[in-house]
Amino acid sequence: MSDTKLVNLTIEGRAVSVPEGTTILEAAKFAGVLVPHYCYHPGLKIAGVCRMCLVEVEKAPKLAPSCATTVGEGQVVHVYSQKALDARKGVLELLLINHPLDCPICDQAGECELQDYTFQEGRADSRYHEPKRFNPAEDFGGDVLYVTNRCILCTRCVRFMGDVAGSRALCVEERGDRAHIGIAPDLDLSHPWGANVIDLCPVGALVSKDFLNKARAWELDRTASVCPNCSQGCNVTLETRDADVVRMKPRSNATVNQYYMCDAGRLNYQWINRDDRLELPVVAGKPAEWDAALAAAGKALKGGAVHVVAGAGLSNEALWLLKQACGTGLFRVAQGPEAPLAGVPDLALRADRAPNGAGAELLGFRRADQPLAGAAGKVVVIVGDDLDGLDTSALGSAAAVIAICTVVPKGLPAGAILLPMANFAEEEGTFTNLRGRVQRFLQARPTPGFARASWTVLAALGVAAGTGGSFATAEAVFAALAASESTFGGMTYDTIGLKGQVAATAGVNA
Amino acid sequence: MAITTRVVARPTGEASYVRATFKGLALSFKHLVDPHKVTVQYPEEKWDIGPRWRGTHRMLTTEDGTAKCVACGLCPTVCPANCIKLVPGVDAQGNRYPVVFEIDEFRCIFCGYCQEVCPEEAIHVGRHYENAEMDRKDFVYDLARLTAQTHPVCEMWDPADPKGE
Repeated sequence: MSDTKLVNLTIEGRAVSVPEGTTILEAAKFAGVLVPHYCYHPGLKIAGVCRMCLVEVEKAPKLAPSCATTVGEGQVVHVYSQKALDARKGVLELLLINHPLDCPICDQAGECELQDYTFQEGRADSRYHEPKRFNPAEDFGGDVLYVTNRCILCTRCVRFMGDVAGSRALCVEERGDRAHIGIAPDLDLSHPWGANVIDLCPVGALVSKDFLNKARAWELDRTASVCPNCSQGCNVTLETRDADVVRMKPRSNATVNQYYMCDAGRLNYQWINRDDRLELPVVAGKPAEWDAALAAAGKALKGGAVHVVAGAGLSNEALWLLKQACGTGLFRVAQGPEAPLAGVPDLALRADRAPNGAGAELLGFRRADQPLAGAAGKVVVIVGDDLDGLDTSALGSAAAVIAICTVVPKGLPAGAILLPMANFAEEEGTFTNLRGRVQRFLQARPTPGFARASWTVLAALGVAAGTGGSFATAEAVFAALAASESTFGGMTYDTIGLKGQVAATAGVNA
Repeated sequence: MAITTRVVARPTGEASYVRATFKGLALSFKHLVDPHKVTVQYPEEKWDIGPRWRGTHRMLTTEDGTAKCVACGLCPTVCPANCIKLVPGVDAQGNRYPVVFEIDEFRCIFCGYCQEVCPEEAIHVGRHYENAEMDRKDFVYDLARLTAQTHPVCEMWDPADPKGE
């Protein structure tokens, strides 16, 4: 870093120093000035096709596309000079010639860059009176619908598929005002990472079929979270309408997922909203008060050797409290095919289809295909595993069964104690991804019924069993975890932040 | 200090009620002969209401009788009283339409923002004031009710012609 040469320039009257080779657009962003742009995206190669980022550079003969112009020593850049504003107004007018006026039915409305920049800098009216070009919408496969009329041909999608995903599925077909995005006859966007073009599209040309007409962008509440569908731990934003998660979008994190997330993760969110949840504690087949259920569970825990089955979707906090209350145990992780994203190093849909297998291993839990093996005759504590597809015959002869779960697991004996807990979207906590990166997720929706956050339930269980302390917040649990586990030493929610922090023993389970 | 009474000697002309009674009766008989011009014989006779009157809503329809609404969600967003419930959906032709569109007229403050914001000129506030119902729940107007109403709709305020001249 020390031998990077810095270049000094002035953007909109603000002096900035940026490394040599930076583009004016990035330098302006650094100075706090957002230059309007469509084709430029920090994760993609520079194309310079939209001409929306034109800025005036003093002593240059004509306006410069700031995304493709590198900074020069002593440059004086005007983003909002009359000349630059007029040029961009012209670009917007041309883009809007054939752009339909269908914002009321367009899913992108509210998060559309064409809307935003037209509102900021564009003309209030159109001088074009001829009928607009019309092309039918086209299904691009996967989750993607291409609404041809709305396309502004920024080619972000083409460059993503070509340069990042390594697929030649998309190209620009024809020329002039007939140009549109074309799809290869033998390929479509059912590519495992294909739906990223929806996020990249600055307008409503590429829209999600899953999200189509479901909600308006401005109605959604957004919560920083981590994708729970594989051990990569892509940073995501959970978007909720009322209390339901309606879509998941990638949240940029340069070291984990850059700007992307895979389709399998993106579209697997419906289970968060499922309505067949366990909402009340149950003791011996009857609904019970929390205090009575916890007392019964605490008593059962003292009745013999304990066999623990944990879920790989539990937070580090929950796993650590489980370890405090009942000791470590076994967990299983659903497997699936890996799907790497070619253009980004160390980014893939991982075979481990659960978010916190690495965290469970760091905390001393062991991986097993049959986590119920050896459970016969013992007190079985099942936390966050639905036992789907497992041989549950061992539970019949167990001394007692305590299940802390979101939905009632199959194959439980009649006398089991059931304690309802929140899923990851309903509580705060941390996951450890397969590279040992500890990442926070925040609460996005309320817990159903009388269910409580997993760390609340497990802390109370520890108190009831006389083996653990009580905690008021997830942050306090994590502080205690960091104090007792050297791997997580020195970490707090503040140091982790929303970008994550690598645990001391990195590279587990690579 | 002793309490004393002071007797005021009023002139008989002022103290008597007789003169005031005749004065009042004279006014009443005057109105009987020449009725006050403001009184309207409601309900046989109705007053004209202004073109910008904002009353209960109406949803305009296309030629085929379906609501013009495309479920864009702007009216529930702009509504300051939060009285519009909208659930969007897609019909067999792939057109976006409101599956549920309900306005709670009790909650409505009749500001007319919904009409002003509507890009399809679908929802309107009406020039209408006779809204009595036998049941409170009938004041939640659903889409069928909103499209079935026939009363004239409000003309929006025109900034170029602020006094409507």
